[in-house]
Amino acid sequence: MLIKIAWRNIWRNKRRSIIVLSSVIVGIVAAICMDALQNGMLYQMLFNQINLSTSHIQIHKNGFIDNKIVQNTIPDNNAAEQAAIENEHVSFYSKRVITFGLISSANNSSGIFLFGVDPELEKNVSIIISSVVKGKYFETGIREVLIGTTLSEKLQVDIGDKIVCMANMKDGSIGSDVFRVIGIFRSPDSEYNKAYIYVPITDAQNMLELGAEYHELAIITKDYHFAPQAADEIESKLGERFEVLSYDEVLPLLVMQLDMYKEMIYVINFIIGLALIFGIINAMLMAVYERTQEIGVLMAIGMKNGKIVNMIVLEAFLIGLLGTIIGVVLGWVLYKGVLINGIDLSSFAESLDSFGIGAILYPKLSMENLISLLLTIPLISIIGAFYPAYRAVKLQPVTAIRHV
Amino acid sequence: MDLIKTENLDKTYSDNGVPVEALKDINLSFERGEFTVIAGPSGSGKTTLLNVIGALDKPTNGKIFLEGSDITIKKRKELSALRLNKFGFVFQAYNLIPVLSAIENIEFSMMLLGIPESERRSKALSLLDELEIKDLAYKRPNEMSGGQQQRVAVARAIVNDPEIVFADEPTANLDSVTGGKLLDLMEKMNRDKNITFIFSSHDNQVIERAKRLILLRDGKLDLK
Repeated sequence: MLIKIAWRNIWRNKRRSIIVLSSVIVGIVAAICMDALQNGMLYQMLFNQINLSTSHIQIHKNGFIDNKIVQNTIPDNNAAEQAAIENEHVSFYSKRVITFGLISSANNSSGIFLFGVDPELEKNVSIIISSVVKGKYFETGIREVLIGTTLSEKLQVDIGDKIVCMANMKDGSIGSDVFRVIGIFRSPDSEYNKAYIYVPITDAQNMLELGAEYHELAIITKDYHFAPQAADEIESKLGERFEVLSYDEVLPLLVMQLDMYKEMIYVINFIIGLALIFGIINAMLMAVYERTQEIGVLMAIGMKNGKIVNMIVLEAFLIGLLGTIIGVVLGWVLYKGVLINGIDLSSFAESLDSFGIGAILYPKLSMENLISLLLTIPLISIIGAFYPAYRAVKLQPVTAIRHV
Repeated sequence: MDLIKTENLDKTYSDNGVPVEALKDINLSFERGEFTVIAGPSGSGKTTLLNVIGALDKPTNGKIFLEGSDITIKKRKELSALRLNKFGFVFQAYNLIPVLSAIENIEFSMMLLGIPESERRSKALSLLDELEIKDLAYKRPNEMSGGQQQRVAVARAIVNDPEIVFADEPTANLDSVTGGKLLDLMEKMNRDKNITFIFSSHDNQVIERAKRLILLRDGKLDLK
């Protein structure tokens, strides 16, 4: 019956209740949108890195990650590939030659990261094929090069133009080769557009005199959540000559940022709740004031303080819960209807690219946040009702009944 | 044993810092089954006396014994339990809970006692029937006349089978016919259920029906 009274009391002053409800709803929708944007941004940064080069798991010669010299090739290609194939979580893999070098055109030159990739295998592992904005992806697989938009501008080269690439060979001397620009890519990370080039792996191996050796086996698992476990399994199989790193070990700062944000969202929700609490306190104080006489009568007929507190707290809780549910539904609809399709932030593309986000931001809603909101805001509404409830039970029955 | 007994009861209010003696040295006793009216002119202290005896207000001095037990030394929580279990109240302005229907208003007191819902409902319905207002069961206070509301208030006051019902000017807002009917009903409850009624009123209609009349003047018993 207390719930019934609390519910009906909410609608006694419709305007006031609607204003409080609206503030809760707006707060919840804002919290959902903010979280989806922030969460989407962080996940986009992570997934862009994974999809551009990090992949879910990397297998190298032990020590390669700290010392990327050309001599540090995988000690046993077959063992590495076999370990990848045999792991149940692995979907795809690709072999890569990775080195630093210098690229020159007729007009300019620039330092670069050279990726020698298997044109077919790489399609399953990275998004480089879909990032080509001019020209095409590898066609013949012979002395073709994919370069970024910024690098092409710097070198003043276009599709079909030749460039010369130089890098340290395995024996320490300088090797070079000529490549023809087959495609120009624009990735979501400006660093890649500025300083990364992709050539067929055989050309890279020839230029660096690596034979069949390569530096990295990039692996994509069925789900990125499996990556750390799969990396451990592969590492235990391969032994100490290899280093097997999952994406969270390669990108620790980004993963830490994501983990930190997951904690921060509770603080943000608490702050939003704190802003809402004053509206609830105000509304409930007004309600108690308006119903002073009624509270006096309830005291007169024997209602104990605890039940009066419950009645007032329930009323605030129901407002908080209703506002939260409506807010979550509206936020969800907004997310599913509008945000999920991506927000075009082309006007800020340059700065977003430098963070590796890309021009289109795809917000990502977290269930943890929805649950956190569903718990936090009604709880905060309860806290907000305690002071008005305290005021109510401090009333003397006889003075409360006389209140006009 | 007296049902209620007061000893040297005083009540002094502070009106903007000025002490006002509302009750002075009241010594009274009430027996079970009384139908008593406390009468007197406006400001004589009728309502104050009713509130103090009904444990809604504390006396400044003096003692009140309910069945031999001093209620002036009881804590707030104990007084709530006392009002719930032993007392019923009927107010001048009816004071029903506006968001509840007639039957829910009656059930509310039983809910406070922890009576199960099915039992509450049947008891409330039979009481409404007894008070000839069964057709109002599901109406809210704003859909009822003053007389109807006061009947529901009486039902709420007696539903927990109290020892005493305190009625503060119960007919003041009613026309004489409706007021008369309400008093008929209260008399019937007093007669049939042996419920003690203590009224405060200056309505002649109420005073005429009193089995015992207590007169107050300037906060003192008027023994003349």
